[in-house]
Amino acid sequence: MRKDLVVAICLAIVIVIISYIVTLGGGLGPLFSDVRPLATVYLGTTFNTSNPIFTAMSPEAVTAIVWDYRGLDTLFETAVFYLAIIGSVAIYRGINEKLRISMGFGLSKIVKVVTKLLIPMNIAVATSIALHGHLTPGGGFQAGAAMAVIPMLLVVVFSRYFLLDIRLSKDLALTLRSIGLLGLALTLFTPVVIGLINGLNAYIMQNQAKINAPVSLPAFVGGSLISGSLIMYNVSEFLAVSFGFAILFILLSIEEGLVKDQMRGEGVEH
Amino acid sequence: MELTYLLLAISMLFALIATYIAIFEKNLVKAVIFSALQSISFALALYLLRAPDIVLVYLPITVGVYPAAILFLIRKTEEVEEV
Amino acid sequence: MLSINVDEFLANISLISLIAIIGISLYGIFVRPNIIKKIIALTIFTDASNLLAILVGFRRPPSIPPVLLNLQPSPEDIRYFTQVAVDPLPQALVLTAIVIGMAVNLLIIFIALQVYRLYGTLDVRKIKRLRG
Repeated sequence: MRKDLVVAICLAIVIVIISYIVTLGGGLGPLFSDVRPLATVYLGTTFNTSNPIFTAMSPEAVTAIVWDYRGLDTLFETAVFYLAIIGSVAIYRGINEKLRISMGFGLSKIVKVVTKLLIPMNIAVATSIALHGHLTPGGGFQAGAAMAVIPMLLVVVFSRYFLLDIRLSKDLALTLRSIGLLGLALTLFTPVVIGLINGLNAYIMQNQAKINAPVSLPAFVGGSLISGSLIMYNVSEFLAVSFGFAILFILLSIEEGLVKDQMRGEGVEH
Repeated sequence: MELTYLLLAISMLFALIATYIAIFEKNLVKAVIFSALQSISFALALYLLRAPDIVLVYLPITVGVYPAAILFLIRKTEEVEEV
Repeated sequence: MLSINVDEFLANISLISLIAIIGISLYGIFVRPNIIKKIIALTIFTDASNLLAILVGFRRPPSIPPVLLNLQPSPEDIRYFTQVAVDPLPQALVLTAIVIGMAVNLLIIFIALQVYRLYGTLDVRKIKRLRG
């Protein structure tokens, strides 16, 4: 590794000299000047009560773009994530495991006590990130990623069989993930149902009232800001992403000898 | 001289050194650790570029999920790369 | 020593070193024969491309992230906000890209495990000689 480190530092010095020469010759064009006009439109209408046709009623511009202005992109991205998880589950089909007692496995007692203190804090922080996604930086994906480290910690510190003891199996994680996706689908169709009942025009994934579609979900409930449909989308996506990661870690930590025996018994055609 | 530009340049040069060592290292466990170091300096660069949403997604995934999954894979398969 | 603008010099260092990281990780994907090394190089390439996209939407300091802190803004506040905040659109697109990239990378790790179970090796040159 000593030779690699010397070569890397020489490469960094060469890059500094090259960029000095490039700056002498006029630079790489106007870096970091003003933003584009489309960004001005998005920033100007994200929480603007004096422009009620275009506004999204959410002071966080990135969440408004992800779930309101470009909501269909996020819908198809959730579909791609779903297909990747189904592919991983299909590779591991038909593997049964036996239960074993989980006392005495895992790391030492100090690590176990510290992990028991950290896991409730992790769940609380992740739920707070999901619920405040429309007021501060956060949202569904961020909260799902923050809670994704919990199954990995449980498998490494306690042991694989601890997960079977608390009955967090692959089927339970698949069920909870499907509940999250069901919440997403219900929030998607709510404006259409309201429009059909009252005889008005409405689009799917609609947040506030537009010109010829006067259906809108409430932006203020009891004096506090919930930004219409954005909070429901954030909570559903949080459930779906975090249990998707749980499925992948449960499958990845099955013992290798068990899988090889069951796969060899299936027939050896390849 | 702005503090933002200076810290951005330092973190990008550190990421360059870490990724060179990660690609040219033959022991795969050390390569994964250097890839996590590169992700930490990228997270500092993303914070300096005024993007806090991206830092909240990037940090658990590239420092927590990726090295853990690749270490599981290394444990079940082989550990040293032969050029 | 000729006189240069120090801010522009530091910004050019960031951009050229980012392009160098993209080049090194592409070399790692094409030339190295182990599948796990290819996976590590692919994650580095994805991260560098996403950082390049966010670098395009930056604004000269003083600037703030695209979050409005005043919950009852007057039109003056909103006009000041549009002249100071950075671009929120690349950040939203990169968020989608990171989640999709992570799902596909985890699927690739599962497929690599299956390749090792069926062929007994993770070296691309040896797998090419076996031919099923």
